[in-house]
Amino acid sequence: MTTTVGVESSTTPPPGLAPPQRRLPLANTIFCVVVVSFCIIPFLLVIAISFGEKIEGAAWRWSFDHSNYLRFFVGADWPDTRTTLYIRRLWFSFYYAIIASVLAVATAFPFAYVMSRQSRRSQTLWLVFLLSAVSLSEVFVVMGWDILLSNRSGLPMVFKETGLTDWLKTSGWFEVLREWGLANPRNVRFKPTDFATIVTMSYLVWPYAVILLYPALARIDNSMLEAARTMGAPPLTVLRTVVLPSVRLPVIGTTLILFVFLLGSYVAITVFAHPSRQTLAVSVYDSVRGATMNAPFGAAQAIVLLITAVLVLLIVWMIGRRTEALQ
Amino acid sequence: MPHLKSDSSTLSTATPEKNRRTFLKTAGAVAAASAFGSFPVIAQNRTLKVGSYGGYFEDSFKKHVYPAFTEATGIAVESVTQPNSTDWLVTMQQAASAGSVPADLSLYARDTMIKASRIGGLLSSIDVAKIPSTENLDPYFLFEGGEGVLGVGAMSWFTSMVINPDEIDAPASWADFWDQEQFESSLGLSRNFNSNLLDIVAATFFDGAKTFDTEDGIVALVEKAAELKPNVTLWWSGESQMEQGMKNGDVIGGMYYHDVASLMAADGFPIKSVFPKEGNPQGYGSWCLSSLSEKSAEAMEFIAFSSEPSTQALMSRMIGTAPLLEQSKTDLTDDEFASVSGTPAIQPAYEAYLDKETFIKETWDNMLAAG
Repeated sequence: MTTTVGVESSTTPPPGLAPPQRRLPLANTIFCVVVVSFCIIPFLLVIAISFGEKIEGAAWRWSFDHSNYLRFFVGADWPDTRTTLYIRRLWFSFYYAIIASVLAVATAFPFAYVMSRQSRRSQTLWLVFLLSAVSLSEVFVVMGWDILLSNRSGLPMVFKETGLTDWLKTSGWFEVLREWGLANPRNVRFKPTDFATIVTMSYLVWPYAVILLYPALARIDNSMLEAARTMGAPPLTVLRTVVLPSVRLPVIGTTLILFVFLLGSYVAITVFAHPSRQTLAVSVYDSVRGATMNAPFGAAQAIVLLITAVLVLLIVWMIGRRTEALQ
Repeated sequence: MPHLKSDSSTLSTATPEKNRRTFLKTAGAVAAASAFGSFPVIAQNRTLKVGSYGGYFEDSFKKHVYPAFTEATGIAVESVTQPNSTDWLVTMQQAASAGSVPADLSLYARDTMIKASRIGGLLSSIDVAKIPSTENLDPYFLFEGGEGVLGVGAMSWFTSMVINPDEIDAPASWADFWDQEQFESSLGLSRNFNSNLLDIVAATFFDGAKTFDTEDGIVALVEKAAELKPNVTLWWSGESQMEQGMKNGDVIGGMYYHDVASLMAADGFPIKSVFPKEGNPQGYGSWCLSSLSEKSAEAMEFIAFSSEPSTQALMSRMIGTAPLLEQSKTDLTDDEFASVSGTPAIQPAYEAYLDKETFIKETWDNMLAAG
């Protein structure tokens, strides 16, 4: 919207400013075309598809059918039966994304802080290393963790070879692990578990967390920290009263970006999450690309996920403003 | 999506036009082919784009089957990678509405092929009367849609019971998988509602495919499948997950493709494909000609080649698929036949999976999602 206004106002420039303004309408037009064709049209198409009608045994047709949204909340067989299947999947989308993004920021923060206090050279080396880690795709990362957690090549093998599994069996803890779903009759197991899912998702966004936190942390003036210390503040107090308040906004912003990024996580969920605890992203893909070819229901689920995510971001933003106003 | 009758007028008129154009071209090509049939054809520029499932499967086709076809007919094959059957139908459907398709012949499983025929406008009919070698195949493998034969069987495969022979003895029945003493958190089964676990349950505990006729029957099948949940550690969605699971020892049994299991066993991995007394579900792939393809004549020759007993035997030897004709018609030895096929075969309830797809999928997903 703002860009359209920009185009209109720049088409009637004051005569003296004509030459530099002449290039702006072109840039604005290109920007508009890009936004409209790559963001707005696809988005409108998704909305339109979400009202499509499923034809049993075939694909679907254009229509104006609310049943896809109804199905999200009560299931396809309603009113005979009612299911909260899709609401639970929505919940799991948020559950994994929130925990994994908070965990990533919490562990990346100390690292980024220590890194920002290093010499220029070592900072550069770390940043290059992290940027190359970012280039690893989700598939690759998941494959790596899959091997690390596998029975014959990973952590369970370490348990077995070190005698830990036998010790667990004699001490009775093994039965407890079996009850928790962390062991089969032969050995411990870590897939599929929430633990594996969340660790992998955190790992996936961890480099982003460091890269996003680093500029804010690097800007903190060393002399402020030294002043606090000379006045007798122990390191933790310095962290709590000087460092954290000055990077409060970047920390919240980073968490939110990672959270939104992780809402769409697919590979980690399909590999590590139990089917009873899978997310809406998996369900959307199943609907659109799976055997039922039910793109309308997939689109409806995607829209509900989007609306819920926007609502959550709005609430966080409002809480942020309220606390700022209070201060 | 945009091939359906209620579409906007531009789209619905566009498709028949294309069909007519394709038909004319096809008719011309067939006429030309039959007119010059007795003369050597200038072969250099005859090509055909053929789709098959990527990975080992497609590689074997490129290495063993396509060169033999080119040698026999002079038609060069351009191999096209299909991720699988259903994904490919989505791709082909979108490509068809855009007006150009990535493959002339695609390989579809029976349910996907029925779905494509119900969507309509995606497949050309194949005149099997002109392809004598198709008479070798069991008529079940020539799929009749509304407009004639829409798919000719290519090869068949089994979704087998597999076990790790180092850990357990081969069970005599699928029912053994329900034994929690032996299999707690140890099995790998497919997560998709239509990947034959329900057919196995129907054959093992109920009246086979008939059980799918009523919604109560379907609920009973799903409830019986739910009893397996404590024994399943891996609900796989991608074939490679199960492959890794068996190799890593994360699972000691489950369901997996008979052909791939045999190949893995030949490579020394601890896996054995078993035919329990109820049998294993049999699936098969069909060659289907895209309605936008202009290579109908070449496609006919390819289908003719594929239906030959010698080609069926070649695929069994090199790819590990089961032939679509009796063993006696091929030169496969008993051992060779046993390594690609087995009895009895469970025929999946294809029609029910389509007619009641939303109900079965949601009942199934609810079962997986519970507790």
